Amino acid sequence: MATPQILADITRLLLQVLPAMALVSLVLAGISLRLEGGSTFLIGGSFTKWILWGIIMVTLPQLLLWFSFFGLPVPSATGAIGTSWLAGIQNDVSTFVNTFVIARLTIVLAAFFVVRAVLDATQGNQPLGSVLTAMFLLAIPTTANLLSSFQTGTRFAAVDVLDGLWNYLAGRIMPAAAGLAVVGAIFSFATHRPAMRLIAAALAFLTVSALWRLVQQMM
Amino acid sequence: MLFENGIVNLTNWLGNVILPTLSGLFFAIAIIRFVGPGQHQNWMYAGFLCLMASGILRALEVFSSQQAWDDPDLYWRSLMNLVNWTCNVAMPLYGVLQIVVGVMAFSGIGHRIYHGGSWMRHFMAAAGCFMLSGIVRLAEWFVQQGAGGVSY
Repeated sequence: MATPQILADITRLLLQVLPAMALVSLVLAGISLRLEGGSTFLIGGSFTKWILWGIIMVTLPQLLLWFSFFGLPVPSATGAIGTSWLAGIQNDVSTFVNTFVIARLTIVLAAFFVVRAVLDATQGNQPLGSVLTAMFLLAIPTTANLLSSFQTGTRFAAVDVLDGLWNYLAGRIMPAAAGLAVVGAIFSFATHRPAMRLIAAALAFLTVSALWRLVQQMM
Repeated sequence: MLFENGIVNLTNWLGNVILPTLSGLFFAIAIIRFVGPGQHQNWMYAGFLCLMASGILRALEVFSSQQAWDDPDLYWRSLMNLVNWTCNVAMPLYGVLQIVVGVMAFSGIGHRIYHGGSWMRHFMAAAGCFMLSGIVRLAEWFVQQGAGGVSY
């Protein structure tokens, strides 16, 4: 029995709004990042949860390949939505997220986090967390593209994206963070606070991949 | 706009713009604290370190790139390179500095500056105030002499 047109179109609608929902997940991840510290995050906290949801939304069509692998038929989600009002919903949701949430609201949110950074410094706290959160929010469209570029199109795509994200973090972000750690160490030294842990951390940031191999060797 | 670019540019701005600017302030604080009973050496070293942020990072990069990126011993070897450099390069220089300080103390100069003659300390602080820009330029010159970085 053929799948009714309306059900096939609802499936297509849900799958085609996923890229927009992934962007919303990244916005929520950015806000959670600041709640968890800004320059660090909790494993199992809201930041990792929203990042994981973003990845799932980017790779859901590939995750559905598991059903085909198990021998269960999966209706095709590719192609245009035949029902005009459902196509209108897809278009409206995507336009709303891209032009309102990402292009305007997220920019304003980032600007508020810059204000928050100044207020953090006023209170004697570190402004770095809020600055990094503002940068994360401003970079959401490119981060979403980055996640998409990591996916391999296979049923393992979600894990491949996580894998690519770890490599990107260890190979590109951490060496830059080493520079921040050195700057932090100098500030700490000048203000009579412990600085050696930041130098040790800078070395660790530069050798994350080797530390991973070290842990593997220990097993 | 890439998150990675943001962090790199933030690091560049802090390390190459803000810290060198603060360096002058730290030298000024060092002179002010030199007049009073407070500890001033820390501020002077902080002034030097502010000029050396890029150099310190380059040194750490050299220490951590002597083995393959996936060598499990890389962190240990990096730490050992840091310790080697500290013990065999920095400490002998610090030793020479301490000998100079010792000779000065033996000849009574340190005594006149720190304990016995406060008039000498005030005159030196005044000279430091007048020469502050020159002191910063001199510190920059010293740092520029090491632009070649750490080599292995």
